[in-house]
Amino acid sequence: MTDKKYFPKTLSILLSIILPGLGQVFQRKYRSGFSFFIAFSTSFAVTLWYGKPVWFIIPVVIWAWNIWDVISLPKGKSLVIPLLLWLIMAYGIGGQVTEFDLKSLITNASRSKDMVAQMFKLDFVQPRAEKMEGYVDIQSPCSDFPPAADNESDGTRVYVVQTCANVGEVITVKGEGFWPNQLTTFYWQNPIGGKGMATEATSDASGNVTLEWKVLSIVHTTAPDPTIPQIHRIKVSQSRPIGGLELSAVGGYIVQGIYETLALAFLSTIIGAIFAIPFGFLAARNLMTANPVSAIIYLLVRSALNIVRSIEALIMAIIFVIIVGLGPFPGMIALTIHTTAALGKLYSEVIEGIDPGPIEAIKATGSNWLQVARYAVIPQIIPAFTALTIYRWDINVRSSTIIGFVGGGGIGFFLWQWIVLQDFRAVGSAFVAIAVVVVILDFFSAKIRERLV
Amino acid sequence: MLKVENLTKVYPGGTVALKDLSFEVSDGEFLVIIGLSGSGKSTLLRCINRLIDPTEGKVILDGIDVTASKGAELRHIRRKIGMIFQHFNLVKRSTVLTNVLNGRLGYLNPWTTTLGIFPGEEKKRAMDALKRLGIDDKVDSRADALSGGQQQRVGIARTLMQEPTLILADEPVASLDPVLAHSIMQYLERLNKEDKVTIVCSLHYLDLIQRYATRVIGLKDGIKVFEGLPSEINREKFKEIYGEEAQDVRATALE
Amino acid sequence: MQRYIPFLKALRKLLITLVLVVLIILSIRVTEPDLVKLVSSFPKAESIMGQLLRPVFFDRESEKVTVSQVVPVPCDSVPVPTSADSGSRIVLDPPCGSPKDVINLRGFDLPQNAEISLRWILPDGGLLSIKNIKTDDDGEINMPLEIRPITSAIDGKAAQISFEVTLPNGKLVVAKTLKDVINAMFVTIFMALIATTIGTIIAIPLSFLAASNITRKGKLGTVVYYLVRAFLNIIRSYEPLVLATIFAMIVGFGSPFAGVIALSVTTAASLGKMFSEAVESIDTGPIEAITATGANRVQVVMYAVVPQIIPDFLSFTIYHWDINVRISTIIGFVGGGGIGYLLSQRINTLQYSQAGTALLAIILVVWALDFLSSEIRKSLV
Repeated sequence: MTDKKYFPKTLSILLSIILPGLGQVFQRKYRSGFSFFIAFSTSFAVTLWYGKPVWFIIPVVIWAWNIWDVISLPKGKSLVIPLLLWLIMAYGIGGQVTEFDLKSLITNASRSKDMVAQMFKLDFVQPRAEKMEGYVDIQSPCSDFPPAADNESDGTRVYVVQTCANVGEVITVKGEGFWPNQLTTFYWQNPIGGKGMATEATSDASGNVTLEWKVLSIVHTTAPDPTIPQIHRIKVSQSRPIGGLELSAVGGYIVQGIYETLALAFLSTIIGAIFAIPFGFLAARNLMTANPVSAIIYLLVRSALNIVRSIEALIMAIIFVIIVGLGPFPGMIALTIHTTAALGKLYSEVIEGIDPGPIEAIKATGSNWLQVARYAVIPQIIPAFTALTIYRWDINVRSSTIIGFVGGGGIGFFLWQWIVLQDFRAVGSAFVAIAVVVVILDFFSAKIRERLV
Repeated sequence: MLKVENLTKVYPGGTVALKDLSFEVSDGEFLVIIGLSGSGKSTLLRCINRLIDPTEGKVILDGIDVTASKGAELRHIRRKIGMIFQHFNLVKRSTVLTNVLNGRLGYLNPWTTTLGIFPGEEKKRAMDALKRLGIDDKVDSRADALSGGQQQRVGIARTLMQEPTLILADEPVASLDPVLAHSIMQYLERLNKEDKVTIVCSLHYLDLIQRYATRVIGLKDGIKVFEGLPSEINREKFKEIYGEEAQDVRATALE
Repeated sequence: MQRYIPFLKALRKLLITLVLVVLIILSIRVTEPDLVKLVSSFPKAESIMGQLLRPVFFDRESEKVTVSQVVPVPCDSVPVPTSADSGSRIVLDPPCGSPKDVINLRGFDLPQNAEISLRWILPDGGLLSIKNIKTDDDGEINMPLEIRPITSAIDGKAAQISFEVTLPNGKLVVAKTLKDVINAMFVTIFMALIATTIGTIIAIPLSFLAASNITRKGKLGTVVYYLVRAFLNIIRSYEPLVLATIFAMIVGFGSPFAGVIALSVTTAASLGKMFSEAVESIDTGPIEAITATGANRVQVVMYAVVPQIIPDFLSFTIYHWDINVRISTIIGFVGGGGIGYLLSQRINTLQYSQAGTALLAIILVVWALDFLSSEIRKSLV
């Protein structure tokens, strides 16, 4: 064979000096040539980007090693050292770039301990209770003529003896008409509705309750100017269990969120699967490469599917949230598009893999193309399509738990708010709910897929 | 050299694979064990090198009680017993050389071999073994790139590395076509004749039995139903061992 | 009974269809698809998409140019200057005037539709702004200008009328956005690399514990097996993004490290599962063969188990790196660094063209890695 002739070695060495790996390629050592090229170019690009001159040693050594490799061809040199150098560079620079700092996990241990402890106190249900409430509006700080702080509502009367409150003073809050001998909670609500402070007292046998309350400066933290008198509200509330359990506020949101999440995943899977079928056929090589026109369509569809697939659904969700507004709808559009692209690709692979035997056999019986499709193609692809769709539904359930992070609806929407508000009990509850739902669905979908295959 | 006494094996679940089996093998014999699949042949061979622990009974090799040994002692016994398998049991993704060297593991320093380092003389020994089996040109191929007959020869080369005094062969030719079967059996025969290695082998084909065996033991449902010379096995005996329903097997096996 | 089977089959099909329809209706009620809104928001979508599809790579370098013209007030105070014929210029008609006169001011060859601040530079150096004016589509302005007494020339020094414009000088430079995107992309790739490495290191022991053929022996083994498997399944049920928020709360928002830990944990869980399946599917023949040669336990693992699982492990790991790059493109949304952070910032500040640059970078990198990883995996099998 004439092509066994080797390229002049000196020229190869020269080529490898100019471009690492090129000399090896000319000596028909494609593998090591490609490896050297990738190792050199990536390490050079990374060090160039990172900019610290010390790291340039690594591409230089790889370059030198590459020359040595060409000189000692056809035996070549071990690739272990360049690989090791490359790894040192990758993890050295990578660690610095990603601010890798295991210490920060430990230095924040106490914070995380509190957090995790809270997360385990789940908040799904609360004992059912009835409430007795009253309130009074009070001025703070005192103006020259404060309005009377005395209010009657729903059979209760709440009043403050001093009629107004300055920071640091002790006020006397009195309530009448409450349940007797019951723990009573007092909330201070500032003018924008935030809770300033809270404390408890117990009512006496005739349903009266009295509290000596020191007004702390935190009640004014939200005011632009704490010296201007504003109307605050003192809420007095009692609650007593009436037996049984009910969903807590958080529990209610979780149920709603999970329901939305499942609906989102379900709908986007179904719609995505329907859209994916034509794309799957258009992106199947065995069907589409017969003539140039369909081959172009094949290329276009395949590239489009690949491009869309590489954009995470969450990114699309942000864009759709901007376009159509908050809620599950934009999340659904984003998930549907991503599902269409991903399933389209998978379906096309199924179609590419079908057995041509039955098609030939059915054609041989004199059937037309519709009959061939119905009796030779569809029976082959239906089980695989269904299994892939169920698999995708699994993925979509997972994805739709986060699509709410950007306003796309589902449990993620609530979860993100709880995370921002640092309500760790609610966060922990949502975590448990997600795990339970996903694990159960995983189990069932695996069972169904097993039966299909 | 090998003495099997009252060997019984009951699998968890109650299947009785061997029942009160006793026999002796002397140096240089080529003992063939015949019987239907499921008659206990594989279990018997694996009880000899303790890949399976027998429920009762003893296996005594050169005066050492194999059934009572454990740990390093057992490994030292095992490295003198070669084993050849029906499905070759090569590490498919490793090279032929590594597969052959694997046979030497029992003799070598566990630390250096864990790092994948083998001494040079062992590599030479492996090359010699491959040369002897005529496949030294395949030394750097991956095991799964070889044909069935070649893979079994690698299996034999692996066994040679153990410098065995006894070779257990578990249906060594059942996965091969008849021509290859003879060539593999001839290698075993040469080991038996030239190297004086005792061989205990399970087989199916009557012509192979009559051509290679010095003695035959027949098993049925874990019980010894025949012991004697290969010439003593005629159609009647074969039918007795393999059962009435095995007409087809018998017919083809006798071709 | 035989006769009923077709009927039962049909009934089952009907039931499945019915359940599906009910589920779809329920889902539609919850997700409230609003096609009218989708259509009515089309113009908005068009403008956003238009910008996204025009990613920024290069900026035209520009410089600030001061355009000015001397205005003799009154006309005979200083010699009347000639105005330039080309370039950004101001032309006055008449070229001079007396206080209280109204003359016509025109500007030519200015940037189109640009806002300019017209002002007087008084003879004593003081500034007096006149008004802000926008240039028309041809880059011209045309306006009446009232001459004020204060602009009168002093000691032969006349006032000037002047403004600054930013003019592109034609040189193309790499856009700052592109540099930012490349920086963020590097961080993202490194996040994925480090997370995959850590995840793999944790996954290897976990996978052996979760492999039924290795661990599920005896009471303790069975307990460990089920515990590890349950743990892997629970962790796998969380999107890495959710875990990233939790770690971000511990190590602080804005650091890619939180994303790296979250990704490592999810990688460990899902690789642990995949690895354990690889371990479960190994061929026991070689184990038997090597045990029979008298090798010890470690040697059996090294020579019979490891060669069988290494290619699978490597292939899964590379595949997961690919996935992790994809995930780390969004992990920045919750405050980790990387391309996701950059993208969410650009979208939140409505800079869609620049978001388009980031999106394009994501597509290219994900695509390239997809290709690379599948090629490497092909050569491994």
